[in-house]
Formats: sequence, C-alpha cells, structure tokens
Amino acid sequence: MTTTEAPAPYGVPLPAVAARTRHTLGRVLAALARSAAIFVPVFLVATFVTFALRSLSGLSPARIQLGEEATPEAVARVEAQWGLDRPFLVQYGDWFGDVLHGRLGTSWTNGADISTLIGLGLAVSLSVAAFALLIGVVAGFALGTVAALRRTTWVDRAITGFVTVISVMPAFVVGIVLVTVFSVGLHLFPSAGYVPAEQGLGPWLAHITLPAVALSFDVVADVARQLRGSLVGAYRENYVTGAVVRGLSPRRIFFGHVLRNGLGPALATLGLKFPALVGASVVTEWIFGLQGFGRFANDSAQAGDVPAVQGVLVVSIVLVVAFNLLVDLVLARVTPASRRGV
Amino acid sequence: MTRRVLALASGRIAAAVLAAIAVLALFGPLLAPHDPLATGDHPLAGASGAHWLGTDYLGRDVLSRLLDGSRVSVLGSLEVAFTALAVGAVPGILSVHLGRVFEWVTLRLADTLVALPFLLFAVAVVALLGNGLTQAMLVTGALVSPLFYRVARAATLAVARSPYVEAAIVSGASTGWIVRRHVWAKVLPPIAVALAQTVGVGFVIVSSLTFLGIGVQPPAPTWGGLLASDLGYLGHQPWAPLAPALLIMVTVWACNLLADAVRDVSGEAGRALTGRPGARPDQRSETAPAPSGGV
Repeated sequence: MTTTEAPAPYGVPLPAVAARTRHTLGRVLAALARSAAIFVPVFLVATFVTFALRSLSGLSPARIQLGEEATPEAVARVEAQWGLDRPFLVQYGDWFGDVLHGRLGTSWTNGADISTLIGLGLAVSLSVAAFALLIGVVAGFALGTVAALRRTTWVDRAITGFVTVISVMPAFVVGIVLVTVFSVGLHLFPSAGYVPAEQGLGPWLAHITLPAVALSFDVVADVARQLRGSLVGAYRENYVTGAVVRGLSPRRIFFGHVLRNGLGPALATLGLKFPALVGASVVTEWIFGLQGFGRFANDSAQAGDVPAVQGVLVVSIVLVVAFNLLVDLVLARVTPASRRGV
Repeated sequence: MTRRVLALASGRIAAAVLAAIAVLALFGPLLAPHDPLATGDHPLAGASGAHWLGTDYLGRDVLSRLLDGSRVSVLGSLEVAFTALAVGAVPGILSVHLGRVFEWVTLRLADTLVALPFLLFAVAVVALLGNGLTQAMLVTGALVSPLFYRVARAATLAVARSPYVEAAIVSGASTGWIVRRHVWAKVLPPIAVALAQTVGVGFVIVSSLTFLGIGVQPPAPTWGGLLASDLGYLGHQPWAPLAPALLIMVTVWACNLLADAVRDVSGEAGRALTGRPGARPDQRSETAPAPSGGV
C-alpha cells in the first residue's frame, strides 16, 4: 500500500498536496491501528490456547523417543531435557518469547528446526493458495459483475445457479473429480507432486493448477455471490439515479459509483475466505501429494508432534491476520464506505 | 414458521432431502443389504444386481458402507451446529445486555475464533487430544460459533433499540424477562438460518476429517473414508467417488436451500410486521458473511 498520492497536477498548490498526503497517511494509520487492536488480543489468546494443547493432551517427547515401555526415570530425564518439568507459565513465557523472534522450537520426532520445515512447506502452500485466490478473484469478479449487469435475465439466473452448484462442492470432492478427469482420464496434468518455480514456470504451473482450482471453487462462489448482491444494491441507491439523471455514461456510473461502493463486501469476504483456504489445504495437499503446510500439519498432528503442531497453528494465525490486514488496507484505500467508518 | 417454510417449493425440496438423509442415519445400518465390513471375493467390481454400487478394493459392498456411514456424518454435523448455537448465540444475546466489559471480551473472543483456520485446528485438536470424532465436532462447533454470536447480537441490538423494549425497561422489566419475552422471538429466525448453514458446514467438516482418517477407526465406514479409499483406485474405478461425493454435495445443498427458505420467510414476516418494505429483521445476518461451504 503506497502512502503517497500521484504527483501533484499542475496548478495545485503544494500545501494542498501535502494535506491530502497527510490525510491518506492518517487513514492508513487508522486502519493499521484498528487492525492492531484486534490482532494483539487475538494473537495472545490464540497462542495461549495453542500452548495449552500440550498440557491438555498429556503427550510427551519421551513417548515418541523411547516408546511405550520406557521407565518413569527415563521419561522424566527426557522431559527435563526438553524443559517440560518447569512450571506451565514459565514454559509459555519462554515459548512465546521464541515465537516473537521467529523461533518455533525443534520437532519431537526428528529434532529438526520447525521454522525451517514450515518454511519449506509454505513455499508450496502459498503458491497454491495465491493461485487459488487469483482464480477466485478473477472468476468471482467476472461472474458477479456480469450477473449484476444482466440482473433478472437468464444470464443472471444461469450464473446464480452455477454459483450455487459450485458452492456446495467441498474442496476435497472437487480435488478428487479433477484428479479423475484431468490426471487419470485425460493425462493433461500430473496427479501428484510439486516442482519449484525455479525449475521452470511450466512444470510449476502444471503441478499447482489442479489443487488451486480445487481450492478456488469456494472463493469463486462467495466472491461472485457477495459482489452480485452488493452491486445490485448499489444500483438501487439514489446517487446512481442522480448520476443517470446527470447524463453520465453507464460505464462511468459503473466504475465511478457502483463498483467503488459495491466492492467492500466482496473484498471483506476475501479476508474471511483466507482461513478456510489455509484449512482446506490440509485436505487438498493430501489428495495431490503436495508436501506443503497443510500436509505437514496433518502429519505432525497424527504423529503427536506437539511443538510442530503449535508452530503450524501460530504460523496459520499470523498468515490469516497478515492477510486480513492487507484486505483492511485495500478496503481503506478503495471504498468510500470504509472512509466514512461504516 | 415451519408451515410457511414448507409452503415454499424450495423449502419442501430441502425438507424432503434432509428427511431422507435423516432416515438413512436412523435406519441406514438396517437397510444395508450386506454386512458393511464383510470382505468378498470380487474386489473392485462394477455395479450389479447383488452390489448396486459395486464393491471396494476388499470386495466390500459400497452401498452398505454408504448407508452404514451416514450416521457418523449426520450426528457429527448436528453436534457442530448445536455446539456452535449454544456457544455462540447465548453470549451474542447477552453481549447487548450485560454491560461493556462482557461485550468487549466476547467480541474479542469472537474475533479470535474467526481468525483460526478451523479445519486445521480440528485436525490438530483431534490428533492431540484423542482420536474421537465427538471432541473434533465440539471444537469445530466452538470455532464456527462466531457466526451465531454475530447473528444473535445483530438481531438483539435491533430489538434493544425498539420502542417497545425501551417501554419495557422504563416500566421496570428485568433483563431476563425482556430477553425471554421480546428478544428471543426476533433472534430466532436469523438463528434458524445460521443453524441450517452450519449443519451444511458440519457435513463438509465431518467428511473432511473422516477423509483424512481422523476420528474414526479404519474398518468403520464413513462417507469421507469411502472417498479416501476410492482415491487409490481411480485407475480401476474412475466412477467410484461419484456416489459418496454426490451424497455429501446434495446434503450440503439441501441445508443451504433450507437456510435460504427460512430467510425468505422470516424476511417477509419482518415486512408484514413493520409494514415497511425496507425493514427486514435479518438484514444484518444477510450481510454477515456466511460460513464457507468448503472448509
């Protein structure tokens, strides 16, 4: 998000430009402060719950390293090595301090650095999620806009019907259908695995297309529905009637008034879709054999590797909050409604 | 309200589909033509008179496994929905009445829960806290409860500003009496909408978890588990995922359809009561984001 406006047009005195820049900066700062007011308590509560999972689960690294037959002394020794014999709040404080420095500890199963493991997985998952969001935004905006412009015609009904159908298709069902048709049936796409973008853009896209499409259905449906609703609503507003009376072109009315006012809910939906996208990656990565973030979460959880699971949850929270911050900033910039503080 | 929902064609269709699913859940194991766990001599067979939907990789009857697995899905999704209702709606109503501290704390908690990717948390919690689907569903219910919190709070706020509630406060009515007498009736329709949506979301979550093999022990059949085992044999039986996938999708669709029908009916009720076309009591719930269809 840039905080500076376009260069001053000729004839506009400099103080006015400075005032406008200050105004924009203030708006961005206000949006940041508002998000931070939500972010900080969210992060504290969520990390505390996450950390309490270990005590609640009663899982211990000794079980993983020594097996079920270990003597109590051996278990106690291993737990002391991991610092698990200290009071709960001390452990939480240490762990939280490490988290703030980006250190997520070491895995119970193989002693590897969790931050590194998650970083490797994130490269895969974020590629897929970004591509899914791109498909979702482009297709969702196209469908929603066309439906709103041709509202109450057969085009609108067809789009609404299509959106209803894809909105009830869970990501893993779509994934299985896609694998069946495009990998097993038509051999158009590889059915599993991942190739980093450095090894060629073509193979990279080929590997992430199907998972991204599977994840995107939900986003497409929600964005299209939300955008259609708010655009139709915006067309009923008095300022649109006023613009028509003033003789503005339909194009100018759409871009200048309707879209700017109707964009808010669709963008806000995007912010809410992101956690769902992260969650669904657990299933889609399993289907498409991707060693991503979701797969790592599932494997660690099923292995009882508590620090790894905690790391995954913390990273997912940070991702969600960061993405919402981005959406907030875009909202604060784009829509007149949020400038009014609605 | 039930009669008016059933007066709509969409309401009747949704109710019929959901009733059929409920019958499957109640009597599915009895209706199953074969033992869902009995392995047979003809693995990966196509549809035939003896096995209407064919057999899986161990020769088990797919139709029987589908019928037998329906109970887990239905129970699980109801658990999600009613946990979310209990955890979300009550604080949502009370947040308007119990003062600023309670309001602030519950609002922040709702923000927190919304920010958590709930499938990820469900997976983590079930795997760490014990392999039972019920725990997973309770946790998921708590994670999707902000929907109910927001819907109930919005409806309560709308009522709390109405003249008749102000009149009741002035005439000395207690908060409990006002909630029971006035607020509850206004909050009910949007909550019914949210409940239907959440049951649909619950179906997707149960299916996703059982698909990953979380929450149920292997031989026991589930819709998600069927899909997972089909995935390994797509080369032999590319049509195999069709039946469980369609079941899941039709159920979720029926839940959404019912939610829309309830919303339409209660919207008309709002107009009829106030006489103003714009005043719909569930307007906030409409603009409030619906839970995702796919997790």
